Amino acid sequence: MFKFIKQYTETIANAEIYPIISLLIFFIFFVLLTVYVFSMKKNTVKILSEIPLNDQNESGTNQ
Amino acid sequence: MQVEKFYYDNKIVKNFAYATVFWGAIGMLVGLWASLQLVFPSLNFSEYGTFGRLRPLHTNAVIFAFVGNGIFMGVYYSLQRLCKARMYSDTLSKIHFWGWQAIIAAAAITLPLGLTSGKEYAELEWPIDIAITLIWVVFGWNMFATILKRRERHLYVAIWFYIATFVTVAVLHVVNSFELPFTMFKSYSWYSGVQDALVQWWYGHNAVAFFLTTPYLGLMYYYLPKAANRPVYSYKLSIIHFWSLIFLYIWAGPHHLLYTALPNWAQSLGVVFSVMLIFPSWGGMINGLLTLRGAWDRVRDDVILKFMVVAVTAYGMATFEGPMLSLKSVSAISHYTDWIVAHVHVGGLGWNGMLTFGILYWLIPRIFGTTLYSRKLAGTHFWLATLGIIFYAVPLYWAGLTQSSMWKQFTESGQLKYSFLETVTYMEPFYAMRSFGGFLYLVGALIMGYNLIKTAKQGKLIANEPAEAAPLVKLVENDKKEHWHHKLERKPVKMLIGSLIVILIGGIIEFVPTFLVKSNIPTISSVKPYTPLELQGRDLYVREGCYTCHSQMIRPFRSETERYGEYSKAGEFIYDFPFQWGSKRIGPDLAREGAGNLKKTDGWHFRHFRDPQSISAGSIMPAYPFLLTNELDTAITPAKIRAMQTLGVPYPKGYDKIANKDLMDQANGIVKNLLADSIKVAPTKEVIALIAYMQRLGTDISKPE
Repeated sequence: MFKFIKQYTETIANAEIYPIISLLIFFIFFVLLTVYVFSMKKNTVKILSEIPLNDQNESGTNQ
Repeated sequence: MQVEKFYYDNKIVKNFAYATVFWGAIGMLVGLWASLQLVFPSLNFSEYGTFGRLRPLHTNAVIFAFVGNGIFMGVYYSLQRLCKARMYSDTLSKIHFWGWQAIIAAAAITLPLGLTSGKEYAELEWPIDIAITLIWVVFGWNMFATILKRRERHLYVAIWFYIATFVTVAVLHVVNSFELPFTMFKSYSWYSGVQDALVQWWYGHNAVAFFLTTPYLGLMYYYLPKAANRPVYSYKLSIIHFWSLIFLYIWAGPHHLLYTALPNWAQSLGVVFSVMLIFPSWGGMINGLLTLRGAWDRVRDDVILKFMVVAVTAYGMATFEGPMLSLKSVSAISHYTDWIVAHVHVGGLGWNGMLTFGILYWLIPRIFGTTLYSRKLAGTHFWLATLGIIFYAVPLYWAGLTQSSMWKQFTESGQLKYSFLETVTYMEPFYAMRSFGGFLYLVGALIMGYNLIKTAKQGKLIANEPAEAAPLVKLVENDKKEHWHHKLERKPVKMLIGSLIVILIGGIIEFVPTFLVKSNIPTISSVKPYTPLELQGRDLYVREGCYTCHSQMIRPFRSETERYGEYSKAGEFIYDFPFQWGSKRIGPDLAREGAGNLKKTDGWHFRHFRDPQSISAGSIMPAYPFLLTNELDTAITPAKIRAMQTLGVPYPKGYDKIANKDLMDQANGIVKNLLADSIKVAPTKEVIALIAYMQRLGTDISKPE
C-alpha cells in the first residue's frame, strides 16, 4: 500500500522544536503565575473574595 | 462620598431564564425521541425527523439553546451585581436576547430540513453562522461596556471567566466556520480531510471547554458563594484555576482523533495537554466543594445547594474521566462507542443541567421578590434528575465497554467472532434503559418549569431593582508598588488580550505545521476527485447526517482492518469538504464500503435504503424511502463543481459546463445495473447519487496501479 503514498519519508523539519517551545511557554507561564499568587497580600485576597457577597440591596429571600 | 442610585435590569434576566427552561425542555425532548429511535427504528417516520437530522438538532438545542440561554441568564444577573452597574444598554440586551432566540428558531427549522454543514456541533449553515457572529459581538459589546462603567474597582474572578468565554468562543466560531457558500443556504467547508478534522475537533473540544465549562465555572464562582453565603474557599486557587484552565484546554482537541490519520505528533500533543488538564479542573472542583466547608449541614435541607453539589461533583467526575479517555490505550477501547455518550451526559446532565437548575431555583424567587412556590417539588426534581443521570449513564458505560469488546473479539481460528449487526442488537436493552434515564430527567425539568411558573405568579417581577453605590474615583497616585496582576484585574481590555494570547498559543502550534508542512498529509497519486454524481451523493450523505452513526476512519488495529479493510490514510481525504470521519459507530464504518469484501451490489444498496430491516434483520437504521422518489437537483451541479475548483480540487477548466453529462452517464450505468436486478428507477432520483457515493468509498487505494 505504501507505493501509493508519495513523500512518505518526508518529515517536519525540526519537529522537536514544537514540544520544546510548548514546554518552555508552559513552564515559564506557570512559574510566574505561582510566584504571583503566593505573593498576594492576605487582606487583598479577602476583599476580592468577598465581592459577590457585598450586595447590600439584596431583595427577595433565600427560598 | 456621594453614592449614586441606579437600577439593575431584572427583566432581561427573566427573559433568558424563561428561554433556558423552554429550550431545555425542547432539547431534552428531542434527545429522548432520538434515543427512542435507536430502540424503535419505526419512529423515523418522516423525511424531516430521521435520527441523522434529529441528533444534530438535539445537540445544538441543549448546547446553544439550553446552556446558551443559561449562560446569558447567569451572566446578566451576576455581571450587573459584580460591577455594581446596570447593563450598558437595554437595547443591546434586547437585540442579544431576541437575536439569539431567532438563531435557535432558525436552527430548529433548517436542521430538520437537512441544511447542515456536516461538522459536529457546528452544523448550522453559513447565514446562521454570520448571525451568530453578529449577536455574539452584541453580547460582548454590552458586557464590556458594562464592565467599563462599573462602580467596583476589581474584576471578580467570575468576570474573567466570562471574558475568556467571550473571546475564545468568538475565535473558535470564526475559524471553524470558514466556508464557501454556493447557494443561499449551502456551503462547503474551507478545509478538507485531516485539516478539517483538526480544526473541527479543536473547535468541538473547545465548545465543551469554552461554552459548557468556562462560563459555567464563572457562574459557579458567583452563585455557589451566594447560595452558601460564604466566600469561595480559595481566591488564590481560583486565579491559578482560571489561567491554567484556559491555557491547557485549547490544546486538547486532537484527543478526539487518536489512532486516526491525524499526524502522530499532533495526537501526542493533544494527549499530554489533556492529561495535564486534570489539575486545573480538579482545582476548580475542590475550590467549589470546599466553599461549603462548615456549611455541609445545610446541604441536607437546602435543595439549591444539593443541585450545586451534584453539579460540581459531576464536573469532577467528567474532568477525571476526560483525561483518562485521552490516553491512547483507553481511546482505543472507548472511541466510537456509547462510553463517550455516557461521558458527555455526565457533563451535560450533571454539571451544566444541575448547576442551571440550582441557579434557576435561587434566582427566580429573588427577581420576583418572593419565595419558591414548592420546596417539596424542587426536592422531587432533584431526585428525578439525579436518578435520571444514573439511569442514563450506567447502561451506556456497560454497553460501550461490551460493544467495544465484541468488536475486538476473535474466534480461536482467527475470525471476527461477531458481525457488526450482532453487536447492535445486543445494545437494544441498554438503549432502552438509557431512554428511561432521559425520561426521568425530562420529567424533573418539566416539574421545575411548573414550580417556577407558580413562583413567578405568586410574586411580581422587580423589573428594575434599585441599588446604590459610590462611583469609581480615578486613582490619584499611581501606586508603583502595586502588583501587575492587580492592575490587570482592573483592566478588562487587557484581560481580554491576555486571554486571547493564551488561547492562541495552543491553536497556532497545532495548526501551522498541519497546514504548512506538506509531509503531514502525504498525497496518494491514485486518489482522484469525486465524479459529479458521487459529489452529489456525498452531499446527500452530509444532508442526512449519516456521520452521526457511521464513521469513515479505520484505525490501525487488526480488529478493524479485518472488519473494514486497510486502515485509513491522511492522503485519502484531501477532496473531502467537509471531512466525514464521524465520532460514533451506531452503524459500521463506511470508509471502504465500496471496496474489497464490503462491496455490495447496487441493488443491495437500493433495497437497503428503501428498507434496511428487510436486508439486515434487526438493523436500527432508518428507512429512506424518500430518496427513491426525490429528484436529484442537477441544476446545482455546475455551482458545486465551481466551488470545488475554488477550494483547489483539480477538475479540468470548464468542467462545470459538462459535469452534468458525466453525471447522467454514470447514473444511467447504475440504473442499468439495477434493472438487471429487476429494480426499475429513473436515473435522476437521489438514491442513484447516494449509491454512486457508496460504491466509490475506499476504492481509490485498492485500484490496481
